[in-house]
Amino acid sequence: MVYLPPPQYASASRPSYAEAYNKILATHRRSPLTSASSIIILVAPDVDALCAAKMLAQLFKQDDVMHKVVPVAGIADLEKTRDELITHTELHTLILLNMGAILDLPSPEWFGDYDPQVTVHIIDSSRPQNLATLFGAGENGDRIIIWDDGGAEKLEEERKAWEAITLDPEPDSGEDSDMYSDDGPSGDEDEDCDVDAEGDDEYGEDDRPGKRRSLGESRQGSRKRRRLIVLKRPHRLSGEQREAYEARLEKHYMSGTWYGQSASSTVYFLSTVLERVDNDFLWLAIMGLTYQYTTSRISRAEYDKYHPVFYDEVFRLNPPTTAGSSATASLHPDDSSIRATDELRFLLFRHWNLYDAMYHSSYVASKLGIWRERGKKKLSGLLAKMGFSIQQTQQSYFHMDMDLKRQLQSKLEAIAPEYGMIELTYPSFMRLYGFKSHPLSAADAVEAVSALLDIAGGVRMEVEVEGARNGGEWFGGGKVWEAPDKVSSEERGKIALGDESEIGGNGGELEWWIRNFWTAFDALTDINRLREALLLSMALHRAIIRQGSSIIDKQDIKSMRGHRVVVLTQGPDLALFAHPGVLSRLALWLVDALRDRTPGTVLSGSRSKRKSLPFVVACLDERAGTYVVVGVTAALDFGDTRKNEFGLAFLDAKERCNARTRHSSFDTSVLEINKDDLSIFLETLCEGG
Amino acid sequence: MALPQSLRTSVTPPELELIASEQLIDIVPLVTMEKTAFISGAYGPLRPPAKARVPLWIAVNLKLKKKCHIVPPEWLSVEFLQDRLSRETSNPGFSQLPFQFAEISKVILDIASDDLENPDKIRTLLKDIREARQSKSREGITKLDHSELGLSGLCSMEINEIRPFFIKGMNVLTKLIRDPEHPPNLDET
Repeated sequence: MVYLPPPQYASASRPSYAEAYNKILATHRRSPLTSASSIIILVAPDVDALCAAKMLAQLFKQDDVMHKVVPVAGIADLEKTRDELITHTELHTLILLNMGAILDLPSPEWFGDYDPQVTVHIIDSSRPQNLATLFGAGENGDRIIIWDDGGAEKLEEERKAWEAITLDPEPDSGEDSDMYSDDGPSGDEDEDCDVDAEGDDEYGEDDRPGKRRSLGESRQGSRKRRRLIVLKRPHRLSGEQREAYEARLEKHYMSGTWYGQSASSTVYFLSTVLERVDNDFLWLAIMGLTYQYTTSRISRAEYDKYHPVFYDEVFRLNPPTTAGSSATASLHPDDSSIRATDELRFLLFRHWNLYDAMYHSSYVASKLGIWRERGKKKLSGLLAKMGFSIQQTQQSYFHMDMDLKRQLQSKLEAIAPEYGMIELTYPSFMRLYGFKSHPLSAADAVEAVSALLDIAGGVRMEVEVEGARNGGEWFGGGKVWEAPDKVSSEERGKIALGDESEIGGNGGELEWWIRNFWTAFDALTDINRLREALLLSMALHRAIIRQGSSIIDKQDIKSMRGHRVVVLTQGPDLALFAHPGVLSRLALWLVDALRDRTPGTVLSGSRSKRKSLPFVVACLDERAGTYVVVGVTAALDFGDTRKNEFGLAFLDAKERCNARTRHSSFDTSVLEINKDDLSIFLETLCEGG
Repeated sequence: MALPQSLRTSVTPPELELIASEQLIDIVPLVTMEKTAFISGAYGPLRPPAKARVPLWIAVNLKLKKKCHIVPPEWLSVEFLQDRLSRETSNPGFSQLPFQFAEISKVILDIASDDLENPDKIRTLLKDIREARQSKSREGITKLDHSELGLSGLCSMEINEIRPFFIKGMNVLTKLIRDPEHPPNLDET
């Protein structure tokens, strides 16, 4: 129910993050059955949730609180976990990271059935949030707490609308209400609505927010109704008022998905209030924020809103010592401080040579048209104008001349605008590692961790060995990337099945992403693993560029009624792109690359009148016989975002054409669809909106 | 004990560290704690921001959970160690250092180097001091005889280093002295 306002709104009567945290501690210490599964943290598989989980685990460890971190892949997995956990008697706190804000959690199909002792905390950056979870009161609703970032304060109108509709549903709103008779309370009514609820459930798949809402409301409505019969019937809402309220709620849910404050920032603010921050926490929070920005989940404006907060924190925790020293040189062997720098938009440019970094960056790709020969020449021309010889640009960044490195930024700012590239830098942070290793920037760290999450295991990736070019091919061009050491199976509960299990495809598939999760989790604070993961990330990007350029070259992009659709059925990297994470990256790259070349369109079914670029990318997964489909609604300007309406559009299209689909992740704009249904699905999708 | 044969002759450095952790040290606690009874005694109460005197093991535990700051002892500073180092290199005898300085300084440098003002300099000074003293104790060993060996000013770790050799050596020498005509069968020792 309750949503927690962020600390700046907290007051004596409105508890905030710290009070909730202290309550968790108190419950833990008080309950006699405390064990490691009394506090369970469910984590979604993305970098932001991983950082938040790491911070929370550290906080709990410092307070001597036993807890358990459980990775959860998607809605289906969450349901399974939920069914499992309901049998655990010693569970008293459940924390959900980056999942569940859209779900109607107080309802019995999620957590309504749980023991009243159990509190559920939701720290989720995805929006919109379900109003029943936010505002639903009562002893059932009080157990469910959403940690909010201040956005819920602005939902006053929605709150009024929701409360009005809940307290007094129309007699014929939704088919299920008809089943309720006005006879006194009886057990049959519950059965009736249960049956109907199940029917409704299958009909409206995983998280159709509209249906969920009416389901939740009518159930609560029926309860209220029975209570109201005993009392007097209050006056009903007038017709237009009801319509206005319903329109309000529609607008809240149906305008698409977007993202608010990152989960790691939320946990960071909690630690600030508890006064337990240090550089490690700050770095994790910065990584969460950078992840949101580099994957286009938040716009540049929002990034600029949060950036000063972290900038101040960096200076608070890392007071600048000498004014004259170079900003990114370690002062002493154990220096693990964070510095603020300006980050160039080239991907991983400190780990590649300069030419490669610019070639693989989507921003440069779009401005120069890299996939054509002409574009490549333009790129070399740009570098030549800046005074870098071809040899220099082919040198790995660390071996470049020192003065070139220093001038890089200023030269870029001088010359790049000629080619139409402005805004090449954005303010970001960098972490030093003493004399152990050279500094790592936040964006690079995020890239490394997300590469680990996506493809650390399960896909055979060839990475380039340093020095393999320009004559080094004699010594072996590449090697297959392997995680540095296999995680021992006793440590992680879910991998108990073992590495060599031959249990059907399902068992094997379940394991790879859990292993990736833990590899990425361990690598968050281990610089050596991050460095190795960078190689993996570079190989991944190379594959993406290859595929993306070939798509654009072959003009594989079909335009269906304003949507751009790409279907991948063959290619060297098909198995790689069958992973939703990698496919989303490809979609983002294509969007960035083609941003200036395609006119924006207005989706006819969408609510906003603003133009956007809807992109749909589908990839064949030969083994499973399905297509993985990803939908992206991009904005026309670089650095801006639009609400992603594909979640609803997909559900719409699915219902209309009865395709067999499955949502395998928490992101509603990603789904798996049966091979044969793809074309019908795409047509329905595009004609609808 | 489960130690291999070679290590059974003396105490191992981690054990010495454990023994040294009983020493009292000043901390600035960040949490409050009442006067609590532990096996070795009652410590506390902790009232931030007032300093408190607790055993090193409590300080380590709290520091790892970020619940205190350790106040380094007076001898763990650049000036003190610099002074001792110069004395070490100029005088033939051992300079006065706290008995368990090696263990305590290792623990503090490991976990609380941010509470020290110049941890690298301190590390180099400590290393220099150790090398100077080590060369002196090596010389002293050559003067080993059957009845006594006077090496005053040695510290806990250094004594531990010398101990195995020292004991065996003394044993052999005693036997030799006792009966110079008939050297005993050394395999018995």
